[in-house]
Amino acid sequence: MSDKRLQRPVRVLDSLPMLIVCIAVVSVLYAVCLLRIASNNAMRYMIQIFLYITMGQMWNLLSGFAGMTSLGQQLYIGLAGYSVAIATAKLHLTLGVGLVMSVAVSVVVALVLSLLLFRMEGMYFSIATWVVAEAFEKLFLSWKYVEQGSGLTIRVVPYPKIEEICAVSLTVCVMSIAVVYLLLRTRTGLGLTAMRDNLTAASAVGVNVFNHKLLVYVIAAAFTAVSAGIFFVNKGIVYPESGFGISWTVSMIFIVTIGGSGTVSGPITGAVIYVFLQELLAHYPGWSNIILGAITILVIFFLPKGIMGTLQEKLRFEIFSAKRFSFAKHK
Amino acid sequence: MYFVQILVNGILLGSVYALLGVGMTMIFGIVKLTNLAHGEFVVLGAYLSTVLAPMLGVDPVVTLIITVPLMFLSGFLLQYFFIGKAMKKGAEPALLVTFGLSIILQDAMLMIFSADAQHIVASYSMSTIKIGELEISVLHLVLFAISVVSISTLTLFLRSTHTGRAIRATADDSDAAALSGVNVNRVYAIAMGIAMASAAVAGLCVGMKWTYYPSSGGGYLLISFVVVVIGGMGSVPGTMIAGVLFGLAQVIGGANYGLLISYVMLLAVLVIKPKGIFGK
Repeated sequence: MSDKRLQRPVRVLDSLPMLIVCIAVVSVLYAVCLLRIASNNAMRYMIQIFLYITMGQMWNLLSGFAGMTSLGQQLYIGLAGYSVAIATAKLHLTLGVGLVMSVAVSVVVALVLSLLLFRMEGMYFSIATWVVAEAFEKLFLSWKYVEQGSGLTIRVVPYPKIEEICAVSLTVCVMSIAVVYLLLRTRTGLGLTAMRDNLTAASAVGVNVFNHKLLVYVIAAAFTAVSAGIFFVNKGIVYPESGFGISWTVSMIFIVTIGGSGTVSGPITGAVIYVFLQELLAHYPGWSNIILGAITILVIFFLPKGIMGTLQEKLRFEIFSAKRFSFAKHK
Repeated sequence: MYFVQILVNGILLGSVYALLGVGMTMIFGIVKLTNLAHGEFVVLGAYLSTVLAPMLGVDPVVTLIITVPLMFLSGFLLQYFFIGKAMKKGAEPALLVTFGLSIILQDAMLMIFSADAQHIVASYSMSTIKIGELEISVLHLVLFAISVVSISTLTLFLRSTHTGRAIRATADDSDAAALSGVNVNRVYAIAMGIAMASAAVAGLCVGMKWTYYPSSGGGYLLISFVVVVIGGMGSVPGTMIAGVLFGLAQVIGGANYGLLISYVMLLAVLVIKPKGIFGK
């Protein structure tokens, strides 16, 4: 322990001032959304950022905090897209009902699949989640009711205004961050990180592994579904390939790795970078995945904890920390 | 007779699926790495053969003389200087590096070879031979022969050479192998080399059997996963049996339901025997 850095205390920024800052930032964002301060274009970016933060946050909850690296979260994205489409175009219900339906369908599917998926660990789990998503894609490709491969249009009448979509996305995003943060600070959160670090040891000291996994998996399915539902309202149509495609997981992995796996602030940073990078790379067709891939590899080699993870370690602070006390106070 | 026809076609095609899985199972079983770039390696192998065959004016199968050593060397260097370094940081960083590699390769191939559908054509691509009422495609027989020869060579190599024994020792317990003087990093590099060489062979086979695109890698990766997991990771005989099961599912189910059947089969295997049919 001769390293000076290790002896310096970590400051956990979670006191009242931090709460006030968060409330202020969120209020400003709401104001920007609802008062139409930003241009339509800027709002579109904001919506994308909010939704990607939610998805990234959920993938991080699974992989970074609970050690359940899923390659199949696109399952809930596809289910949500189709739920919204069926609710609005086939059953002539409102968008709100469609979003509730997407969450309900995803939660039910997650509950059923948990019986099957939780029998596996590590890479078996990762592969099985991906296979399930692919199986659903094949199912929807040959299902007549959802027009097979030609896709299902989403007909929302009246079409929501962009500021409404923006506000709803922001709400979902804030809720997802709050849920992850609060969950991690409970007993359950301690159990989750213990599971991630050593499953057998966690189970030996009394962590109910199945219940913990189930809770996280269902929360992740629900939030991923609702954010995807909003996403598809913007897109207007859902295909089996666009809903159940692995590219959704590609985005989530990128966002979490760049930002910092296992930190709450990581996916927020990662999502902002991802949306801007995507916009930038749209001018260089063909190069986008090469650059995304190269960035991922460089980050893993040189900033293995991601941008926020590395910053927090170097500057000795933690925001949205799962720690319930600051070491500085106990010095 | 119809039943026998299906059985024969399933087994012949299954050998190609087994070949796809063999490279994956080497990496799983020996290097303990989930290689998400395996599908792109297969597509790369297919492109190499597609380009080389008309260039040299030879039968596509002959291009293996060049592609196999080339891919082996690439795999060796890739693992030794690159992925091995990432593995020191843990299992997840290594997985993500292969993931980054896969999307880079995919777009690089898209730029070099364009998005057009490709197909490797041989003089016997369309011919069939008749044995009684059985009709067997010559192409299927050639693919079967390639698969059987490569998988047996690999099995012999692993069983009876010094390097093969070092590889198996490392697969069982890398620490114990290192203590007995095995250079584990070199073994890992050889295993990746073999995996890429097998991807070259598999690439030739899938390129001769089906049309492919730069984006086909994901599909091949998934097939290799399914085959490997059904058979049990690290088990070559398991992979072969799983390959045949997979082939039968494709022949019985056709283009649309074949994959669905095999996915359900995989999930059933995982529920009943979570480590695969031949898993330890």
